[in-house]
This record gives sequence, structure tokens and C-alpha cells, in this order.
Amino acid sequence: MPQIEFINVSKEYDPGKKVLDDVTFKVEAGEFMFVVGPSGAGKSTIIKLLTKEETPEVGDILFNGESILNILKESVPDLRRKIGVVFQDFRLLDSKTVFDNVAVALEVADSSLEEIRSIVPNVLNMVGLTEKMFKYPKQLSGGEKQKVAIARALAHEPDVILADEPTGMIDPDSVDDVLEVLEKINSLGTTILMATHDQEIVNAMKKRVLRIERGQVISDKKGGKYRA
Amino acid sequence: MPKSWSIFMSNVKKEKLLSVSNILIMTVTFVLLGLLINIVVFSQTALRYLEDQAQVTVFFKDDFTEDKISAMKDGLSKDKRVSALVYVSKEDALRIFREINKDEPVLLESVSASILPASLEVRAGNISNLKPLAEELKIVDGVEEVRYFEDVVSRFKFWSTIVYIVGTLLVLIFLVVSYSVVIAALRTTINSKGVEFEIMKIVGASDDYVKLPLIHQGVFFGLFSSFIASVIMILLGVGVTLANIFPKGLGLGFLPGIFMPPWVFSIILSFILLLSGFLLGYLGSSVAIKKYLNY
Repeated sequence: MPQIEFINVSKEYDPGKKVLDDVTFKVEAGEFMFVVGPSGAGKSTIIKLLTKEETPEVGDILFNGESILNILKESVPDLRRKIGVVFQDFRLLDSKTVFDNVAVALEVADSSLEEIRSIVPNVLNMVGLTEKMFKYPKQLSGGEKQKVAIARALAHEPDVILADEPTGMIDPDSVDDVLEVLEKINSLGTTILMATHDQEIVNAMKKRVLRIERGQVISDKKGGKYRA
Repeated sequence: MPKSWSIFMSNVKKEKLLSVSNILIMTVTFVLLGLLINIVVFSQTALRYLEDQAQVTVFFKDDFTEDKISAMKDGLSKDKRVSALVYVSKEDALRIFREINKDEPVLLESVSASILPASLEVRAGNISNLKPLAEELKIVDGVEEVRYFEDVVSRFKFWSTIVYIVGTLLVLIFLVVSYSVVIAALRTTINSKGVEFEIMKIVGASDDYVKLPLIHQGVFFGLFSSFIASVIMILLGVGVTLANIFPKGLGLGFLPGIFMPPWVFSIILSFILLLSGFLLGYLGSSVAIKKYLNY
């Protein structure tokens, strides 16, 4: 059973202007897949549909075999705890320390203080930020900020990490660090879906590449390459 | 303490000045509301006291015999508008006159029962019936004169109505202001925490996790300010009780015949204010969440 399945999904924000047009693909558990394409191709929309921030007009989206379109509003938080999301702009809280930024993910799930004190250092260790635990985001580099965001996404031990242009706002030297962390997480069994238009990264990683243009799937190749 | 309360407390601490000004405005609203209710109840009670005292006094001509007066009294006692009748004969009138003027022997010597008129004191259950009764009695044969204190009662009624209308308007205005204040305060909180709410949503916060602290914030504003107003009202009630302004107690218009000590009434009023505070805070915060939280 695929972990993620898009079945003939179409989505339009404005009437008549399809952002996704009859998109169909499957992602198996433990896969690392790039979703590539130019800006406005519909990459971010795929992520928003998976986290149920948006709903498609046509088609169905299955997660672990179940349609997420039929999920009740009350159950959406549970879905989002199974799917960690990382954004290009990090979305960290400047007034909170690295520890507290990661702890937010656990606090909203009513985790106990003991759980928070045990899980947060673990995930920070996984992304290599143990020493920066009590620093504020302003004291971190772009790459480190993104690692904090990844650690926050990992706090719930999600089945999938969705990364929307995670290297878009970090310096080139830190890109490899972030990718290394994502690969490490993937090697531990977590599915990674990374939206990007950076061909160097895609070509270097040699993972499955789903290419989208004008809302349609143009190609879907394992170990594929991408030329923008 | 539930997590949502600790989150709301940190919201309040972050916006201290705004929180204090909100509480002040809402306190003024509830004090005004409490005072208005007090004024209405005090004036109703005072009116009832006046009504109890208010009467039509019918003075009879000398040739109108006691038999005729007695017949008239019997007739009046069947009138539903009449609550009490007291006949004051010429002799009773002289006794009262002597009692009042006991220190003036010269005056007492010159007055005998024959020159004082017999009279009938007519009390009405409803003060508004006094005037028609007086008008009817004036034209009865044998009636010399009819007196009643129309002006005092009607003026009091007029001014208490004016106070009631103005007070109600003021309370309504302040209720609208307070409601807007709750919404504005929460709008500020929602705007300043927009990114945080978005992050919470991404990482799997439930609706209640985000909304409850905001609801608590609104309810806290309402309850805290109505609590201050309640304390003021209880102090006022105790003061009125100690001053013995209403010896029989306060009468409520919708509970005829029931009187209660002012301090008891002030406690009931406090509950009303606290309930109003809760509802105002709850409704204000619910509307603000619906309007401004794009969650």
C-alpha cells in the first residue's frame, strides 16, 4: 500500500485557472522524492493538499490508504502530527529559544513536560544542534534555522516530512548540511517529499524526481535528473 | 492551572496597558449597569412607599350625616381601585386637632367638634387611580372638598422615568463600547500572534488549543471588571442597609409584596453583573475569533 497517493487531483484557486490538473502519483513508505518544476508549477499546492490546508475540487488523496478528504475537522491535527512540514522561510518564533521552538510542536499535542524534556534534546541531537539548544533564531545561520524547523517537524516522529524549498533561503555552504540531515532522517525510515527548483541538488542526490509544469505531471523517474 | 489559562495569562502580561484599559472601560460599564439597576429598584421602592402614603381625603359637609357617609364608605369598599378606607368623624378630627395643637390652649378653646368636618381617607392600590377617584368623589353630593398630593407623586414618577431612560441609554452605549473593546483587544492579540498561530496549526494544534486562551482572555476581562463592579455594589448595599434608608427593605416591581434587605439585593445584583460580564466576554471573544482568526 502506498503511503501517499494522489488520484486524478485537480485544484484551482480561481475559477477556470487550474493549479493542479489531473495529477496522479504514488509515494511508497520510506521513499525520498523530489517534486520539481518552475515557480507556480503547483509544488507548494501538493504540500498544502497533503496537510489539508487546501482541498481539491476533483480527485482523491490517500494517506496510509485512507482518503484525507473525508477527515473530520477535529481529526486534522492528528493528520498534521503524522506529516511534518518544513518551509523555505523556516517559520520560527524569534522570541523563543531553539528548544522552545521545537517544544511548540509537542505542547500543542498536550505532551507532558517530561516528554518534552526528553524528546526535544533527542531531535536536536539528530539535526546536530544540541549545542545551540538555548540560542535564539537570530543567533543562528540560515542552515541552522532550517535544521531547527526540521527538528520541530520531527518532534512527533512523523511518517512523512514535506519540505517546501527548504534550501531556498540558506547560504550555499549550509545546503549540504540540511540535505544531509534530510537523508539521515530518510535512512531511518521517514518518507521525504521535497519540493524544489534547484537542479544542482536534484541531480546530485539521484532520487526519484516528479516533474510538474503548469499543474500537470510531466515525468516521474527514479534516479532522475532535472534541467530547469 | 490548565495550559490554555497559562497561555492567556502570558497574553495579558504581554499587553499590560491594553489589558488595564480594557478592564477599566468594562468596569465603568458594569458599575453603570449596577447603579442603573439600583436606581430603578430604589425608585420603585420609594414610589411604593409614597403610594402607601398617598391617599385621597374627602371632607364632608356638615349636613352629610354619618349614615350617608357609612353608605358611601360601603360603596367605595366594593371599588377594586380602593385598597383601604378610614373614616374620621368630627370627634376623631377634634381629637387629632387637639393632639397636634396641645401646646396652644387658646386655639383649642376656640375649636369644637362641630366646626371640624368629618372625612374619609381613601387609599388606592395603584397610585394612578388616585386622580380618577378624586375626580369622581368631588361631584358626589355632600362632599365639601377633596384633597390629594398629586404633584409629589407624579413628579417623582416623572423624574424616576427620566433617570431610568437616560440610565438605560448610558448602559447600552457602554455595553456596546465594552463589547467593541473586547473584540479590539483580541484582534490585537490575534494580529500580534499571527505567525505563532500559523505555526501551531502546521504542527498539529487543535482548534481549541488556539481558541481557548483567546476565549479565556475575553471571559477574564468580563469577569474581572464585573467583579470590581460587584464589590462596589455590595458596599453600596451594605451602606444603604446600615443607613436604614428603606426600613421595610427594597421592593421589586415584578415581585409584589416581597421586600428584601438592600444587602441581600446587592448580592443578587452582583450575580447578575458577573453573569453579564461572563456573557459579554464570551460573546466578544467568540465574535473576534470568528472575524479575525483565519484558522
